[in-house]
Amino acid sequence: MEQILLINQIFLFLNVAAGCFLAFWVLLANPREKLNRIFFIVTILMVLMVVFASLGFSSNEPQQASIWYRLNGGVVVLFFIAAYFFSIYFPKKIAENRLLTKLVVILCSLLFLISVFSNLIISGIAEKEWGMEIIFGKGKLFYYIPIIILTLLIIYNLFKKYFVLTKEERLKVQYVLMGIFVFALANLIFNVGFTFLIGSVQFQHFGDYSVIFFLGFTAYAIVKRELFGIKVVLTALLVGLIAILLLLDIFVFTSQGWLQGLKGVIFVIFLYFGYLLIKSVLLEIQRRQEIEKIDKAKSEFISIASHQLRTPLTAVKGYISMILEGTYGQLAEKQVRPLENVYQSNERLIKLVNDLLNLSRLDAGKIEFSPELISLEEMVSDLIEELRINAEKKGLYMKMVKSLKPLPKIMVDQDKLRQVILNIIDNAIKYTNKGGITIELKKIDGEEEIKVSDTGEGMTKKEIESLFQMFSRATAGTQLHTEGAGLGLYVARQFIEMHGGKIWAESPGKSKGSTFYIQLSIHLDPELLKTKTKTITKTANDIF
Amino acid sequence: MKKILIVEDEKILAEIYRDKFTEAGFEVSATFEAKEGLKLAKKEKPDLIVLDILLPRENGVYFLTELRNDLEISSIPVVVFSNFDDPETKRTALRLGVKDYLIKTNYTPKEIVAKIKNYLK
Repeated sequence: MEQILLINQIFLFLNVAAGCFLAFWVLLANPREKLNRIFFIVTILMVLMVVFASLGFSSNEPQQASIWYRLNGGVVVLFFIAAYFFSIYFPKKIAENRLLTKLVVILCSLLFLISVFSNLIISGIAEKEWGMEIIFGKGKLFYYIPIIILTLLIIYNLFKKYFVLTKEERLKVQYVLMGIFVFALANLIFNVGFTFLIGSVQFQHFGDYSVIFFLGFTAYAIVKRELFGIKVVLTALLVGLIAILLLLDIFVFTSQGWLQGLKGVIFVIFLYFGYLLIKSVLLEIQRRQEIEKIDKAKSEFISIASHQLRTPLTAVKGYISMILEGTYGQLAEKQVRPLENVYQSNERLIKLVNDLLNLSRLDAGKIEFSPELISLEEMVSDLIEELRINAEKKGLYMKMVKSLKPLPKIMVDQDKLRQVILNIIDNAIKYTNKGGITIELKKIDGEEEIKVSDTGEGMTKKEIESLFQMFSRATAGTQLHTEGAGLGLYVARQFIEMHGGKIWAESPGKSKGSTFYIQLSIHLDPELLKTKTKTITKTANDIF
Repeated sequence: MKKILIVEDEKILAEIYRDKFTEAGFEVSATFEAKEGLKLAKKEKPDLIVLDILLPRENGVYFLTELRNDLEISSIPVVVFSNFDDPETKRTALRLGVKDYLIKTNYTPKEIVAKIKNYLK
């Protein structure tokens, strides 16, 4: 019994010291920040809670114990109010429901008064061999139900914002949840498990002391900008837990001296390997984080650079299109053609920026793939309408041949497929001077095929072979048009292969027109589906 | 008459879109900043918000987060219209419930007005 009391006092002292340290550490890290001030209050209340509970438990007089336990009950209520505010502000503030907040404060204040000054919650104290035990009053349920509701509200607040948080902020929430988990687990072991196993509640305060894990994890998540990954924390926790069990085994369950010595050696060896394990996990995570940082910086640079390039192009596109539409007055006939040329040149620049952006992402080995269910017929028909004006200007026909039965919807990354088809039809218009373009859609077994045929310049076999490679153009391309960079079809092939589909070109020869084919499976490979909205890592070497 | 709020920091583009939407019969309010945009959204209660992502000080993601957290304006539909084609930002914006994430260079003002009209049907 005395041994338990002594251990209790040591744990209590460590808890109070660590709690006060954490409270001031967080407060002094940024005293102006509301979150830090709330955490300070939460921690001080937590420390008081543990102290009052321990004083009640170890009191000599039932009357004295009653005062400490009542104070403990009151502080628990205050703690939950503070924790509720914490859940609003951590890791960043969400809009609070003011009515609900007022209700929480008023109800909890009432509960505080009832638990401290009435006999409804604590009606008396029973003297036991191991210490003082609470005898609960009739209002026990009125105390626990609001506390359970508040706990659910706190968890709800944290989960509600979890999905709109950044990766770093989510990690912070994970830290807090981890702290709550350890606290809950320790309570389950000491307050519930031991009570059933030994039939006594003498160890229950050890569960309370584990609150320091919750405070420690939370304080760390608030103060540190860069947190260790959860993997490291879990490894350290596991190593720590095994170390404690080994230590307990040596000092509590082993009586023979030589066996204690042997287990001591095993303990030291375990500590050494545990240290190596934590260090290697840490190193691996640090390396991965460094790579991620470089990747992120590169990707951000590409995005910002393309944004800066696109902005003036958007303004030019906007103004020219509006001038051509007659927004700023009727144009003279001879003004139309030069303006159309400016518009087309601008479009080429836009396309070049888009291709370069895609190329940089492909080159970096990372590109997003977000398939969704769409109607290919609708998409192609919209694209034809968009490009029809360009074909008509050159005196070309443009027709769409649909399948007799409507085609089923298909899982594709809409943005990417749109870009590919647009590119192919645009090329067909560019390289055709007489005749026109026919776009045919049909279903062949489990696949849908898009066939774009033109009556244009055609290609030789050799040209077709290198057509889908980077910076490659057929000779017709170099003769007729000098604006293309030879990136479009390379990007197109990457995008189609990303869908598990095929893209190729055929031509009977020079001046005999060309036909481009795209075949896509109606049912996307389940493996590809799994990658939905994830980053696909695919390098050019994997593809060719 | 449908009300539309444009949050766009590029002065020239804001002007183009304001003119085009006004010509198309919309009642337009425009601002360059996210915080000002939130104030205007509360005041004007627009039928739709056209939002740029890269804005001075707080960005478009901040705007969306604050908008969704404010019950008074959280249900207003938003279409992102930006040249910032960052996959992570796009994912966040879609998670925050935007109707669409459109790249400005891919659309003429006329096309964007048609798109917005379609969203408001």
